[in-house]
Amino acid sequence: MEKILLNFERGTTQILYMSVRYLILKFEGEKLARGNKEILAKLEQIVGQEYVSNEEANLIPYSWDLTWAEPRMPDYVVMPKTVTEIQRILRLANHQKIPVIPYVNATNIGGLCVPEEGGIIMDLKRMDQIIKIDPETCYAVIEPGVSHAQLSAALKATNPQWEGVEFSKGFEFGWGVHPASASVLAMAINHGIGHLNGRLGINSQLLSSMEVVLPTAEVVKIGSCAYSDSWHSFLPLPRMDGLFTGWMGTTGIVTKLGLWIFPIRPYRDVLTIAAASAKDITKYMVHWRHYSLCDEVTAVSWWLAQIPITFPYKDKPKDAPEFFSYTVISGWTEEELEYKRKMWKKVVQEEKARGTQLIDFEYPEEAKRGRTELPSRIVGSTKNYSKSCGGGLAWPGTFAPCKSWPILYEKWKEIYIRHGLSPATRFTDYQGAHYGMLRCMTPFDKRKPESVKAARDAMVECVRAGIPLGMLPYKPPVEYMNELNAAADAGYVYLMTKIKDMLDPNNIMNPGKLGVR
Amino acid sequence: MALELKNTSLKELAKLYDYISMCTHCGNCKYGYEWGKTANFAAMLCVQGDKYHFDSYRGSRGKSAIAKGLLSNKLQWSDAVSHVLFTCTGCGACQQMCETDIKPYILRMFEALRYEAWKQNVAIPEGIKKWSSTIGVNRNPYLEKHENRLDWLPSSIRSSLPKKAEYIYFAGCTASYRQKNVALATVKLLQKLKVDFTVSEDEWCCASPLLRTGQYDLAKEFVEHNKSLPDKYGASGFITTCAGCYRTLSRDYKMDPPEGYTDKFGKMEGVKVIHTIQLIEEMLNKGEIEFTGSFNNTVTYHDPCHLGRHAEVYEAPRNVLKAIPGVNLVEMYRNRKFSYCCGAGGGVRGGFADYSLETSAKRVREAESTGASVLTSTCPFCWRNLTDAIEMTKSPLKMVDIVEILEPIVKRK
Repeated sequence: MEKILLNFERGTTQILYMSVRYLILKFEGEKLARGNKEILAKLEQIVGQEYVSNEEANLIPYSWDLTWAEPRMPDYVVMPKTVTEIQRILRLANHQKIPVIPYVNATNIGGLCVPEEGGIIMDLKRMDQIIKIDPETCYAVIEPGVSHAQLSAALKATNPQWEGVEFSKGFEFGWGVHPASASVLAMAINHGIGHLNGRLGINSQLLSSMEVVLPTAEVVKIGSCAYSDSWHSFLPLPRMDGLFTGWMGTTGIVTKLGLWIFPIRPYRDVLTIAAASAKDITKYMVHWRHYSLCDEVTAVSWWLAQIPITFPYKDKPKDAPEFFSYTVISGWTEEELEYKRKMWKKVVQEEKARGTQLIDFEYPEEAKRGRTELPSRIVGSTKNYSKSCGGGLAWPGTFAPCKSWPILYEKWKEIYIRHGLSPATRFTDYQGAHYGMLRCMTPFDKRKPESVKAARDAMVECVRAGIPLGMLPYKPPVEYMNELNAAADAGYVYLMTKIKDMLDPNNIMNPGKLGVR
Repeated sequence: MALELKNTSLKELAKLYDYISMCTHCGNCKYGYEWGKTANFAAMLCVQGDKYHFDSYRGSRGKSAIAKGLLSNKLQWSDAVSHVLFTCTGCGACQQMCETDIKPYILRMFEALRYEAWKQNVAIPEGIKKWSSTIGVNRNPYLEKHENRLDWLPSSIRSSLPKKAEYIYFAGCTASYRQKNVALATVKLLQKLKVDFTVSEDEWCCASPLLRTGQYDLAKEFVEHNKSLPDKYGASGFITTCAGCYRTLSRDYKMDPPEGYTDKFGKMEGVKVIHTIQLIEEMLNKGEIEFTGSFNNTVTYHDPCHLGRHAEVYEAPRNVLKAIPGVNLVEMYRNRKFSYCCGAGGGVRGGFADYSLETSAKRVREAESTGASVLTSTCPFCWRNLTDAIEMTKSPLKMVDIVEILEPIVKRK
């Protein structure tokens, strides 16, 4: 009864809110539109003329991303260099009730930087300083504009040490399969994934401190940096960082981020296997990750293993395995690596003995290198997905309990094939037995409305099918958020709304992305 | 969301639409990067993005967004569009970084966008308009008289050149009218090395400035004229000292799209195109050159975009420099395929002189950071822009072309 009432309350409030907001936007639209010289002049006053534009030529690249998210033109793009400038922009935005969308590279997967209601794109690429790399306490502090390219190069050149004594060569963070120009900070605070997920968890689990400008322009520090100049840990303090991770830029602008960095292990190998079905590969993966011996274990369906992914759908050859899997192991000595190889072989033998249909399979060297030399502009380039022409790429990216993988794979496969798309699916384990990634890379033809619609419809249907089985989309586009909100515990949505309202009373921060405001 | 092709009146651009659509908007083009067992490189390479910052300017992603916007009628032509298009130096760094299937078409897309821009009522940079309005008469973009083109060549040398020869030395407009030192050093060097060459009495601009700024229609007669020169002189090839001429003669005259423009001007067949530095390397390898002196300096080499990324000639100049007695070659951080443009190309020096010079000043500072006393290159256009930056910044660096280093200290064995 309570849930029904809360849902009713939520629905009514939301309808009322949306109606009022629509009316405000309609009447104030003219005032806020990109032709408004007063707003332009104020933005210029804050950051300087050369860092503001309301020219459509400069706005259009900010109006869409890789995915099927509906393009929306921003009204202004502004590029602050300092925290003070961000504060002043936010004060102006609050005063004028203009949306502000934090932006660096827009290589997320769900139109997170597409301005649903227009407004100001706050392009943070000029804030590109690596403020600190502490090689003793093993953390780095970065600004939002720092790319994976920049940070990986800097970490590789810094050696783990204590009081001047160096232990080994270079550090690393969780490098994902995205373009090297992507923002490390944006990826990490939005629960991005990296190549150390199997060993350490997703990248938002590797954060240690942050500085945030709230939507109302106050600057706050969270974690150890709130007390000293040490950015090493959020713990044992209350986890207020949760107010800004996974919120897709709707609760504030993270201007500095502390993250844990890890010594590069000098020995690394990639072990590969194939399987007859999703069920078989899941059995193997769950068994192997039980020992917590790998940096990553991932499986890809036959369709994802094709270069490029087949588009439109075509049948898999009958004799081809349904899944291929690689696991990356690392160590400080060859002996350690050899031990891990032996354990892996043991797992494979045991699984085969109990009837799991595993097929011996060796990845090509280039593919193996792609897994050990991240970040890579080749792996992260979307090269494998663009050859089908049309340039569209999206995926229902989700976190799911591993036992749902085979069930959901079969459901997704049916949905994808029905829409003429290849079920190019990936499973990746995240740090032990708790959960993992389930996603389906989906090329589509952006030149054709019917192709865009098919991709969007298939993906939304996949999300709808997965939520009851524990699947949760990450970096969700608005369409996924609507599905999530419809299925959510009423109290959860109530709290999310309350937090959003508290932090952002004028709803200026990336409005429309949460599906509730 | 679909980006349908709706504006087919933009014919040159629309022809490329299938390729343009392959830009996934991934952003690899926005930053230079490589990491592998032996590589650890990360730096900004896009000079235009380095200056103007907005995504429209940075890498090819912004320009492909503009192209898609124009073709799908989501964007209208404006002076701002023109500014984005004409401030790109066409250095090819974004193309170098791109890994999607638009890659080979990126530079052609830029030039097609400029071609379309000329037909619109938008602001084309005055500097470009100025030389474009006279190039049909002057046959060069420097507003100089065509009949003065060979003034750089002393009559004593001119009279000694054969009527027929294996090679035509194609000096190019910059060396003919501005960096005469480079042209003169080249002919002296070629004579010392007993290369069978001559200089055309009627060389026209290679058409590089026209093609790079999208003026295909004007370019046509230039290409046709220059293509006829080898027959006239019984030559089997061109030698250039200009990276821009080399790129144009070896790519645009000879290669099919997207590398070249044979679709528009036909193919120049049976004619070898070689840069001086390649010829020297070849002769060194054959043991045909003897050094009679040394060049005792720490030298850093600037890769011209048109010789480097556009034509992938990276090692020949380095091999030659390493062979010169006394040369201590040191590299800038951004080198070879990850080089940083001098800021002159793509019509930018003529169109936006201050920005062009600002860019070359960045490159000069990078050269200074190596500890070199000499900055060298293989392009008179780079020479001019880098020299201007050296003078502006009062840099202690001395700019010399590699042919200027070689000429006084070599002879044919």
